[in-house]
Amino acid sequence: MNNKFGWRLALLVGFVVLIGGNRIVSAQLKSQPSFIDQAIANSQPKMAKVFGASAGKVEGFATGIIVSKDGLILSSQGVFLDGRQVKVVLSDGAEYVATILKRDRETQLSLLKIQAETPDFFELSEKSVGQKGDWVIALSNAFKVADKDEPVSAMLGVISLRTTMEARLTKRDVAYRGELVLIDAITSNPGASGGAVVTPYGQLVGIVGKIINSSETNTRLNYAVPNSVLYEFVAGTASVTGETQPLTEKQDVDFGVVLFKLGGRNNPAYIDRVVRGSPAAKAKLKSDDMIVSIAGEKIGNLKDYAEALKSLRPEEEVLMIVKRGVEMVRVRITPRLKK
Amino acid sequence: MTNKFRCFLLCCLAGLLVTPVGFVVAQTGVEKSGIDASDAEVSGLSAAELMEAMSLTSKAFRNAATRVAPSLVTIESYGGVSAVQGRIGGIRKQGEGNTTGIVISSDGFILTSTFNFIQRPPVISVILSSGERHFAKLVGRDDTRKICLLKIDGLTDLPIPEMVDESKIKVGQWAISLGVGYGDTSPAMSTGIISAKNRIGGRAIQTDANISPANYGGPLVDIEGRVLGICVPMNPQSQAVGAGVEWYDSGIGFAIPLANAAKLLDRLKAGEYIRPAFIGIQSGPNPLGDGILVNKVNPDSPASRVGLETGDILLSINDNPVNDMLRLKQLINRFEAGETIRMTVKRKSSGDDENLELPLDHPPMNSKEPLALPKIR
Repeated sequence: MNNKFGWRLALLVGFVVLIGGNRIVSAQLKSQPSFIDQAIANSQPKMAKVFGASAGKVEGFATGIIVSKDGLILSSQGVFLDGRQVKVVLSDGAEYVATILKRDRETQLSLLKIQAETPDFFELSEKSVGQKGDWVIALSNAFKVADKDEPVSAMLGVISLRTTMEARLTKRDVAYRGELVLIDAITSNPGASGGAVVTPYGQLVGIVGKIINSSETNTRLNYAVPNSVLYEFVAGTASVTGETQPLTEKQDVDFGVVLFKLGGRNNPAYIDRVVRGSPAAKAKLKSDDMIVSIAGEKIGNLKDYAEALKSLRPEEEVLMIVKRGVEMVRVRITPRLKK
Repeated sequence: MTNKFRCFLLCCLAGLLVTPVGFVVAQTGVEKSGIDASDAEVSGLSAAELMEAMSLTSKAFRNAATRVAPSLVTIESYGGVSAVQGRIGGIRKQGEGNTTGIVISSDGFILTSTFNFIQRPPVISVILSSGERHFAKLVGRDDTRKICLLKIDGLTDLPIPEMVDESKIKVGQWAISLGVGYGDTSPAMSTGIISAKNRIGGRAIQTDANISPANYGGPLVDIEGRVLGICVPMNPQSQAVGAGVEWYDSGIGFAIPLANAAKLLDRLKAGEYIRPAFIGIQSGPNPLGDGILVNKVNPDSPASRVGLETGDILLSINDNPVNDMLRLKQLINRFEAGETIRMTVKRKSSGDDENLELPLDHPPMNSKEPLALPKIR
């Protein structure tokens, strides 16, 4: 490398370091000198291919990860679990029949057990691993391309976002509301679910989730169910998710408007009629006004409106914004106890 | 470690950081260098050093996102038509979530993608990075680039991002797409490289970073957080506002560069509606040789106005030979409604080649595509 070029690059690195702040040389990095190829090689013996029942177009296969030295395998939920037997193929090609220890509707996880010693396994922990922008490797048997002792496929990507969102596969599935680790490697493919998402150090970030559609974007999500959720599922310490009873009796409120309801709950909140003498009438709301915001919350549709009402208390004034013709009108309005 | 070697190491790391093909740069650098170091030291950085380079790129990705974040906005739409049945703008169903936009002037002009308004919402609001919500009006739109301009009023000091001139964008450089479409206030990122330039009639750059409804209208930025373009759905075969969404997250994604688009932005600020070009013929391959055969001329179309007739053979457009339908589409896509093209046509009536000046118009409005705001009551 000639010196001129070198110095230019050195300047560049200086710049990058400038915008990047301090260089990170973590102790962990020094103590664990591994790289992507090693991370993949180290992970492969901890991977399992899972086969079971199929139903029509729904695939009868998935991926799994080994999570204990005595044959515990974590995978996703799916049709493949519903057949007479579930078969697990380890990285050396050895086949085992697995028993299903437990499965969870909300997280869409399943825990399988095979009668074998599995010295190579992923360590689960309560700590979350990886942040936005970090490189990750997704390992899975998407499309069943790996046969018998063939290693599963590896893909490189970064963590796009750690977030909670509502996402569901079909109407039947319970919406998962926990944390998701969105990644930009494409893992939303048949058979990939239950695969491993690891850092270049080989640490487990989470497992590839089932194919689900985001209702926000109407696109398939590429994501991992995070390590900490897996830990809770396997340890059985998952917090009970059920409807908790409200401590005090709920006081329903309303404004005295009848909304235009034809067209379903996704329709915007247009006012059809204002009840005489109601808070809405006092606030001079009119028929055809479209409610777009209550107390700072966006009202995009009737569903949002119903949600917003639940959070209001009687006799507590709030700001409402309505669209009237081409004008945005702000009104102060005090909800009343619903009769 | 010698100073020289340390410098070299830094250079290699810089190479890894600045360009994804840095590995190659670093390698060739090794061959050309006269650095007196043992093969083991030079041939590769140690695993730990490579790891450090990787975590530095991650850090650079995050910093790039942080740098552009103050100019990112969340766009909320209220109401509009929903595709209960059939399709709107070429797609069956749109997401229910918020979409992304980017501030381009300190007084409140915001650029986003027309995709985000497929449902033609009567009300649009914008949440700034500060958390403030403002109601916005749609000022101008460009359907050839799938971008549109919003305006919020009463502001003077909005942060605007740095833009990269299109001529400075290099194929192979890092590209990071950002968008708030997944519903979090912090944008989701996807990283990749610039795959190509001059796509879609020279209007778009192409990237393998994931582009999807989660970031349509959001920025594609470089490793330093400067804006390379605005993410949009694109399909060279179709002009429908939703066309291209079928390629979401596929490795084929597009963005519209803007650094030298001052003229275009002025037109949008003036309220212009830029539409794709249309000539109004149905055509097929010419069985007898070059050019394409005009099978039908749409009544009251640009083609019928200049007297094009069934049986004419279209040979070239602005001296570019036309031999198949795809080529015709690609050539027409370079223009917009209102521009004039020169066609060379072999006339059926006379058998002579003739040059026609044809003023392009926009495609007739599809009656299936709802135009008016939904009527209530």
